[in-house]
Amino acid sequence: MRIKQDVLGKAGVIRLSGQLMGGPDADQVREAIAALVAQGTVQIVIDLNDVSWVNSTGLGVLISSHILVANQGGALKLMRISKRIESIFTVTRLNTVFQVFDDEASALSSCAG
Amino acid sequence: MSRSHPTNPPESNRMIIPPVDPSREILFTIPSRLEMLAVLDQLVQALVHQADFDEDSVNAIATSIIEAGTNAIQHGHDEKAELPVHFRFRVDAQTFEAWVEDQGPGFDLSTVLSTDPTGPEGLLNSRGRGIYIMRVMMDEVEFDIQSGSGVVVHLLKRRHTNGDAAPGA
Repeated sequence: MRIKQDVLGKAGVIRLSGQLMGGPDADQVREAIAALVAQGTVQIVIDLNDVSWVNSTGLGVLISSHILVANQGGALKLMRISKRIESIFTVTRLNTVFQVFDDEASALSSCAG
Repeated sequence: MSRSHPTNPPESNRMIIPPVDPSREILFTIPSRLEMLAVLDQLVQALVHQADFDEDSVNAIATSIIEAGTNAIQHGHDEKAELPVHFRFRVDAQTFEAWVEDQGPGFDLSTVLSTDPTGPEGLLNSRGRGIYIMRVMMDEVEFDIQSGSGVVVHLLKRRHTNGDAAPGA
């Protein structure tokens, strides 16, 4: 998995590519989010446009990160997810936990307030 | 896609495993490394596409096989690469079937099934969704759990025609 990180206005944007699953990759994602939170950036968007699938362990990474960010008064949001990934969020009802945006402009706009 | 709770019959801890039929099956073995799941995903998608299942079924099957493989690697083998995970795939005109076998210590199925990962008590748990996902997305999920010596998971997806209810599709 490759991870790129930007801060755009008030939002931290983490761009992932590959597959989101457990192991060292998961640790990297957690660390990237924790680093943003430590800098005071608590509106965080994860770009899944180049992620082909997420397994249940990857979902766990997103949930633990969501809790970390929410405990600091922020929000972890997702953008540009595929139909396949959307289906796993729907089946697990995690679509009720995460806000999902179709494009970057909408996601960043939601963080600007 | 069905958004309801799994409707397939409750699983028992044992099942009858048919002998391998080399004339009809594809056998695939991977080391217990999570990165191998990407290769597995490509293989399963190719197999199911080749059999002309619809796109939703392809995604449901590939996602479920990934979950079975994840469980075997992480929970069965504790990511010890030297322990192999064996996959058997059988595709015919009506069904896709898979058997996924590990050599792990097994687990208590009733405990896993006792928590609803989509309910208030489970929604924010970071673990415990793999079997739930398989049960929602496939038509049948069975387990053969031999405490201390391994687990075989059998997954079955029927080809759905227009008008059928299609779990996970």
